Amino acid sequence: MAVSCLTRALRSLTLSQPALLSSQAVAQTKLGTQVSGTVAQCRGFLTTASLENNRTYWKEREKYTVRPIGMKKTGGRDYTGRIRTHGIGGGHKQKYRWIDFQRLRYEPNKEDKPFDEKVVEVRYDPCRSADIALVAGGNRKRWIIATEKMQAGDVIRTSAVIGRMAVAANEGDAYPLGALPVGTLVNNLEVQPGKGAEYIRAAGTSGILLRKVNGTAIVQLPSKQQIQVLETCMVTVGRVSNIDHNKRIIGKAGRNRWLGIRPSSGLWQRKGGWAGRKIKLLPPMKSYVNLPSISAN
Amino acid sequence: MFPETAQRLKAAAPLVSQTRLLKDLSRLYPHGGAFSLQSRRQISVSGCLSAKIQPPRKPREPVEIPGLEMVTYGERMHFVPGLAKPRYPRWERDYKDPRYYTAPPAQEMPLYKEKPCHVFNQRTSALEGVRQAAWLTKAKVIPGLPPHLLSLAENPENQIPDQDERVQNAIKHARFWDTTQERPRKEKYSNTLLLNLLHLCATLQSRNPAIGRRILAEDHSLAATWTRGDDLFQIRGRNGLLHTSMDPLPEVSGKDEVSQTADYVLETFYPVSPTIDLQQVNVYKEDVNCSGFTGDYPYPHAHTLYFLETTDSCKLRPEQFRAKMVMFTFGNALARAHKLYGTEPQQLLDRPVTVQAVGTNGRIFQFLVFQLNTTDLSGDDGIKNQLWLEDDVELYDFAKVRPLIKKKQVKVPAGLTGYKPEVFTKFLSLYLHGAA
Repeated sequence: MAVSCLTRALRSLTLSQPALLSSQAVAQTKLGTQVSGTVAQCRGFLTTASLENNRTYWKEREKYTVRPIGMKKTGGRDYTGRIRTHGIGGGHKQKYRWIDFQRLRYEPNKEDKPFDEKVVEVRYDPCRSADIALVAGGNRKRWIIATEKMQAGDVIRTSAVIGRMAVAANEGDAYPLGALPVGTLVNNLEVQPGKGAEYIRAAGTSGILLRKVNGTAIVQLPSKQQIQVLETCMVTVGRVSNIDHNKRIIGKAGRNRWLGIRPSSGLWQRKGGWAGRKIKLLPPMKSYVNLPSISAN
Repeated sequence: MFPETAQRLKAAAPLVSQTRLLKDLSRLYPHGGAFSLQSRRQISVSGCLSAKIQPPRKPREPVEIPGLEMVTYGERMHFVPGLAKPRYPRWERDYKDPRYYTAPPAQEMPLYKEKPCHVFNQRTSALEGVRQAAWLTKAKVIPGLPPHLLSLAENPENQIPDQDERVQNAIKHARFWDTTQERPRKEKYSNTLLLNLLHLCATLQSRNPAIGRRILAEDHSLAATWTRGDDLFQIRGRNGLLHTSMDPLPEVSGKDEVSQTADYVLETFYPVSPTIDLQQVNVYKEDVNCSGFTGDYPYPHAHTLYFLETTDSCKLRPEQFRAKMVMFTFGNALARAHKLYGTEPQQLLDRPVTVQAVGTNGRIFQFLVFQLNTTDLSGDDGIKNQLWLEDDVELYDFAKVRPLIKKKQVKVPAGLTGYKPEVFTKFLSLYLHGAA
């Protein structure tokens, strides 16, 4: 089908007449077709190769590695090639260190046992505001988000056991929410057990465990919103590292460019209802738990 | 041809205004050329330039129903809309072509085993360094070289005439003179320095004829197997430079010291397992012990290994470099012990096997003496092997091509500064061990 389209398009562009047929036959038979050929608008066709980009192939590695992975920057462009997010582009080259957000990941042979890991080094990560820590336990090494007072040589514990008594947790340890005392500062919160941490990962942030209600726990996020999650969701104790991140001063436009932030449009717009400080009530508590609904008949 | 063309164009006129056509024609071909004007080129771009971006379409997933056979257009030899795409089996070459060989997956290899083997090779960078190497080799680490070894070189008979000056000349040759460019590169000068020092030591052959019963070998492959607890370990790799001799090295520590090591407790490093950073393989040959040479090699006993720091792919930190030295020294000793006493684990060897090692980066030297007392490495108790390690001794402080000047004052002058003669005496004593 593609070939017939192509030949149709190319035929409309031909200049020379086929000289093999007699002129009269040409005049009669080709007239109709030539009319249709010259006058019918042929759809334009692409002469370039396919427009797939190889910008996301670096993300498709399956096996976990501690080695930094080379990254391709997108410049705010999406798969079509158009800008989807303005203000992104340029900046220093960065290598991606694959962070393991699922803290409770057992080694292949040692399932279901609480384990310890030793912090080998804590270092800067160009891809996020928090610092990252290389931890080694058993036979494997992995990167995790470092907490505030984590240093090389510390031993951190990960356990999935929820006992009757709350655990006196040290900073950097990871426990399920049901095992922690109410009022602890937590970070790297999972909303669904086993999915991996999605909340409270930025530098200096911490959530507070507010209360525990039969099988679920309610955590206050750094934006003061409260969410309800299952008590088996894993969470690490303490504040995320690099707490002075919000106090830094960029200083000059060039530093923003080094971070990959392009200037905004500069067009002056009259500020409308969207601008200015808003004082409003907190949104209602979001629940990620499918409680059996008590339906009133 | 022209009246014919005009006739055709006039016939086409009802759909296109004739005047406009003629005007266009005259515009296109102003000089009324003799080209054929049979058809007008019509190139247009359709599709507007600012359309809504469609979301990425997921390709339809082919459904497999086990009992049902798909009707494909394979037999018709051309595409038919509505029929399924034929799936053909993968074509395999019926003859063997080495250019297009793909290895089978690990499970189908003939040497596949369920139990993994932990392999230490030259690229391994052990996380815990010498402590991990000591646990793997069941060795007690003693800091500092054995004293009676050092006294060998302090003996005035065993010293080279003009020793200090000749060593300094050797350093200067390696660091300054051995290049046509400004300064030689690190791998070059470290190699040259080592060979110069070896040459200097070899000049003592006139006084100690036993030195002549040695030979240098480079890049031989080493393999040794041992079990530790439940795990199987292997060491494989190509050493750098090896000094082998016809006679084995004498043992460094006596029988009573050896028996005292039975009380020593090996250092563990919970929570890190000692097999971390070792390559785990499921396809391996069991019980492979190869010292790198065939049975009738005239210089079978390994005397000293010389390690240089590699600067290409796997740069090792100092601790990891020392761990690599320990492991390869142990590997050589173990291969020799297996050859002499068989592969059965032995509690106590009658004559412990001793191997030495020197590692350098051109300025800093690490000296190592390893004595293999036992090949029974499965348990953590019993007689241990011994390991004397002297790390990070500097042969000289600075060897600068251009002087370091800060605030118009010379902090470090150009040339060789801070030469320490005792380091070369240690080097010499390790060299003469077994000969003097």
